[in-house]
Amino acid sequence: MTSHAPAPPALEITRKVLRGLRVLNILYGVGIAVMFVVSFLARDFMVRALHSSHADGMDMGVFIMGMRLLMLVGVAGAAVAHVILTRLLEIVGTVGEGDPFVPLNAHRLQQIAWWLLGGEGLHFLAGAAARYASSSGHPLDIDWSFSFTPWIAVLGLFVLARVFEQGTRMRADLDGMV
Amino acid sequence: MPIIVRLDDILHARRMSLTELSEKVDITLANLSILKTGKARAIRFSTLEAICSALDCQPGDLLAFDSTER
Repeated sequence: MTSHAPAPPALEITRKVLRGLRVLNILYGVGIAVMFVVSFLARDFMVRALHSSHADGMDMGVFIMGMRLLMLVGVAGAAVAHVILTRLLEIVGTVGEGDPFVPLNAHRLQQIAWWLLGGEGLHFLAGAAARYASSSGHPLDIDWSFSFTPWIAVLGLFVLARVFEQGTRMRADLDGMV
Repeated sequence: MPIIVRLDDILHARRMSLTELSEKVDITLANLSILKTGKARAIRFSTLEAICSALDCQPGDLLAFDSTER
């Protein structure tokens, strides 16, 4: 049931956008990883860059630890985004081949839902890290806020994955029917 | 497949080719070929009706069940 008609423009644009986002995400993850390494190799440079003094040593130590934790969360977040973008690209690839209703896509959707859930967990971790590292002398404001929207998106994706799985099963039942 | 399709036999008896049957029943040659070669996994009643009407036969003439075939 595969079709080899030319892919619609929207599909090609989607593919390019996803590839571009994946490259940007890799650069972002690598950049944060480099910053994480720099925070150990050039601690004083980092302190100066943050325009803070050594006067409050205890707060600064906690602050730096909080920053490092945020960086680790950032790298983990980039890894989550990379998996999600890659799975999306794979799904778009099957659309281009003319046969997206395959069991593998149902599995991919479910994977995206799980990784997105993990990403939301990281969001909480980032908020906790910023709160832990913050002090009156060195506030660490990452503009964290809770939103229901990503949780609804996660739920929606799990439902969609299940619907997709059922759909591919129904399609398989019809396969070979004349 | 335990369900045997005797389309070849009936076409031969009616002196009709698969292409002619395809034109009569408005079912693609590809689908009729799938049916004839035993590769079909299911058949719609509408398809069965069209074929039986075109070949002037009963579903039992077209289909048989062989319990020994697994």
